[in-house]
Amino acid sequence: MLKGFGNILVKELKELIRDPKILLGMIIVPLIIFPVLGGIMSYSIQSAQEKAEKASVLVLNNDGGNYSEIFINFLNSSVKVSVENNTTPKEALAQGLLSRYNTTQFIEIPSGFSANMTEHIEVNSNITASVDFYVVFSGTGMFESVGSSMIDNLVYQFNRAIAPDVVHSKKSAIIKGEIMEGVDPSVLSGLMISQSIAMPITIMILLTYSMQIAATSVAMEKEEKTLETLLTLPMDRFSILMGKLSGSIIVAGVGALAYMFGFNYYMGSFMSTIPTGASLDLASLGLVPSLFGYLLLGISLFVTLLSALALAVIISAFSEDVRGAQSLVGFIYPLIFIPSLLLMYLDVNSLPLALRIFIYAIPYCHPIIAAKAVTMGDYWTAVLGIVYVAAFTLVIMYIASRLFATEKILTAKLKFKGLRRRKRTPAEELQ
Amino acid sequence: MDIAIEVSDLTKDFGNIRALNHLNLKVRSCEIFGLIGPNGAGKTTALRIVSTLLLPTSGTVKVFDLDVVHEAAKIRKIIAYLPEEAGAYRNLSGWEYLQFMAKFNTEDKGVLRKMVKEAAGISGLGERLKDKAKTYSKGMKRRLLVARALMLKPKLAVLDEPTSGLDVLHAYHVREIIKRYVKEQGVTVLLSSHNMLEVEHLCDRVALLNKGKIVAEGKPQGLKEKFGSANLEEVFAKVVGLA
Repeated sequence: MLKGFGNILVKELKELIRDPKILLGMIIVPLIIFPVLGGIMSYSIQSAQEKAEKASVLVLNNDGGNYSEIFINFLNSSVKVSVENNTTPKEALAQGLLSRYNTTQFIEIPSGFSANMTEHIEVNSNITASVDFYVVFSGTGMFESVGSSMIDNLVYQFNRAIAPDVVHSKKSAIIKGEIMEGVDPSVLSGLMISQSIAMPITIMILLTYSMQIAATSVAMEKEEKTLETLLTLPMDRFSILMGKLSGSIIVAGVGALAYMFGFNYYMGSFMSTIPTGASLDLASLGLVPSLFGYLLLGISLFVTLLSALALAVIISAFSEDVRGAQSLVGFIYPLIFIPSLLLMYLDVNSLPLALRIFIYAIPYCHPIIAAKAVTMGDYWTAVLGIVYVAAFTLVIMYIASRLFATEKILTAKLKFKGLRRRKRTPAEELQ
Repeated sequence: MDIAIEVSDLTKDFGNIRALNHLNLKVRSCEIFGLIGPNGAGKTTALRIVSTLLLPTSGTVKVFDLDVVHEAAKIRKIIAYLPEEAGAYRNLSGWEYLQFMAKFNTEDKGVLRKMVKEAAGISGLGERLKDKAKTYSKGMKRRLLVARALMLKPKLAVLDEPTSGLDVLHAYHVREIIKRYVKEQGVTVLLSSHNMLEVEHLCDRVALLNKGKIVAEGKPQGLKEKFGSANLEEVFAKVVGLA
């Protein structure tokens, strides 16, 4: 047995467990965060399933024959079906039939459907019938393709009931109100996963990394007592704050670029192995943000970053050293991680109102919401998000600048009453 | 004689703790004035208020007739503050650190070069100034910081425990720097120390601080004579009733 090992171990455990920042950051926060994440996952899957079960579908019946009636009745046994006769897909979109029937998908039964079915069954099994399936693509989450896979399943079951391979479904996506013939929404959804995962993860990394840098930078100054020297120099104290924020933004920005590059390579390496997606060009489908969209996204990211950094600076002002600052900043992470993960799987508009308000209230969600919105051409959502985050940033920056302008930057301390037996008073620290 | 620092009825509270209790003090121009006392006496708090880092709870402090509350920005232009146990930026070299600090005081490249060269001389670090500060010993770091404070040719240098944690040789070197520089440049120095023997040799006048109050003030020799003591340590012990 190692001599003294037990004694050292007991001392270490006492030191670590009695540090409230470690106790909260390492034990209590994970105990909360993982059940919350589990809840998010199960809610996401459950709501996707419910959405699929409750799905309604509009059928454009341009055939009018017996088999089209049989097909519609078959669909009706599983999903809620609305029928419009003699309407082309373009007319359906132009007349706003989707919103009238409150659905995001429709099936066109083309003329000749029943004739082909009859031919197949009675004369020549090589002749098949087809239906055209159109789905509105909104790029909102990972489980968006659940609806289209359900229709696939229904067509498969119909074939099993009537004759093998008699009906084929041709899928097309409706992107920003335009029909994209032959673009399979589920393949598209698969391709867009890289975007819906990459953006939240990049923003999570960027925010947490830069917050750590900013908090460490202030805490290091306090720990090394260089901050005291800085505060007595003939300079504007706001410059110290801005210098620290800008430095952190630049370093975090370079880090984020390196991360995005690496992550895109990683996603590209396995996405290229999906042959069906290879022919799809997201840019030609209008699923890549425009220059204006990128500009909005950049502004959204910048103001969010600024508010996160200013918050990190404020928080670190309450710590005595680097370890304390990093632990304190860790308390903000759940506010970044949980909504980011939530937005990976879900459309924010599909959430209950209270949760939606909560998500919109967290400034760190807005670049993720903006990224999805600008991709789909919804600039207002991005602009409103920027306005909200900018207002939040102004408040935080004002608090941070006041903190730097007064002695609070040196004397502020967080008190964890009851967790420590005795904490040194500010007077004792300073004397 | 001009007054460099005038402290009138200064009180500083941190919550329920009174760090300074109705302090009155005058420091003359071009003298080395020492605030001495045990840990927790309020030395650092007093120095921080003079350096515009902390605000008084009540009372006034004037530095060359400038008020620390209302004219803090002007005071920062004429002082240099050296905190106790301060560090330099770990990943900057000694040269870079001195340049960084000098840039706050001058934009003239010629003046800046001269300032840094002078600091290099004061520090006595020579070629080691090219190395990163994280490779310096405690003594080297302290010499760098003292040089930083003095290179600015401030009207007032506020030095908190300037030889804190240094061995005899390094402490001697730093003391010599301060003494020489003050005489050459006519700088006023307000310093704190709990090393009373050191202060005795360095300061023109001293104030003995205990529990936020000045308990004795005067020239070291005068105080020793007044209390019939061999050194300031004994003076202090007698004043606070320990001897």
